[in-house]
Amino acid sequence: MIYSWRKIVKTGLPLLSLTILIEIIAGQILQGKQESLLLFPIFLISIPVINSVSGNIGSVLGARLASGLHVGYITLSLKDKEMHDNFIISLLIGFITYFTLAIIIYFIAVFGNLLTEDIALINFIMIFLLTGVLLISIVALVSVITAFLSFKRGLDPDDMVAPVVTTVADVLGILFLFIIIGIFGVGI
Amino acid sequence: MYAKEMVKQSLPLIIFCGLGAIVAGSTLGLMTDLLREIPGLIVVIPAIIAMRGNISTAFGSRLGSAYHLGVIDANNLWNEELKQNIIGSLLLSFFVAIIIGILAYITSIIPPINVYPNPIKLISIVIIAGILSGVILTIMTIVIIFLVFKRGYDPDNITGPALATFGDIITMLSIFGSALLIEVIM
Repeated sequence: MIYSWRKIVKTGLPLLSLTILIEIIAGQILQGKQESLLLFPIFLISIPVINSVSGNIGSVLGARLASGLHVGYITLSLKDKEMHDNFIISLLIGFITYFTLAIIIYFIAVFGNLLTEDIALINFIMIFLLTGVLLISIVALVSVITAFLSFKRGLDPDDMVAPVVTTVADVLGILFLFIIIGIFGVGI
Repeated sequence: MYAKEMVKQSLPLIIFCGLGAIVAGSTLGLMTDLLREIPGLIVVIPAIIAMRGNISTAFGSRLGSAYHLGVIDANNLWNEELKQNIIGSLLLSFFVAIIIGILAYITSIIPPINVYPNPIKLISIVIIAGILSGVILTIMTIVIIFLVFKRGYDPDNITGPALATFGDIITMLSIFGSALLIEVIM
């Protein structure tokens, strides 16, 4: 027997509890803006999308950095060219993905009668894309830092990056969305 | 050339996962009435999704490792190792769900926020949603692993993206269902 339910619960609980605590903070930010979100359900649809895209890209970046560090073709230097390339490509993939999904979400909201208040397509794309690009930039940075720091301390970046990056993306995604909406002033 | 290869390999999967997130988001978009009627419900949603994601991907990757270690395979799937993994994942979901409900309640009633959820209602919703999505995703993972074994693929390459795409949708539908159920019976 290599697995026991006791061990699974014991090793999982501490990290999960910490993650949950941070996610509750994200939830409280949502609760603070709940009235506005209910007026603009298009942003309610957008939140899981904004968060999960950056979480996924950040996790892929982290896994690639981890492999590079393990095999040795990426060095622990902030000037590493291979790391820079991976970073830039992650931002590029983020930009294309956010742009594509923004258009799809807008039309789902239009055809699903979820646009209770008018928002122009161009405004929505601007808000969604700006939030997404800002988020993926920070999340990619967090991914690099987490991968490098954990590798330096002898921890496996494969275990560390995904939980850290998805949690950070969840909180910052919600925060950035409200900041950008505030700047554009669509009434939230 | 290298950059082009990388974009070509990851972009379709990232966009596909994004489409899955749109389905999850649209479910949330349909919950406006429930969110209005159940104070505190919106607080627990990111936490339940994160819990489900963490527990399910860990479960999937442990089964992947178990396969590589030769502990389970297509002909010897339903054994004690798998059962321990299932019990562990579901118990973990149960404990974390209780923690989520309690934390959401406590952080809501403190002064700057001042929202007063019904604690029993909130904790019940989290537990039902957590266990329901846990059971569905556990069954789904086992079915995926079984199919992957039969075809001789490496489970590590399949379970992660599959759980990332369907996990959020199933979790959001479970939250919708349990909130609706609790709202009707309580």
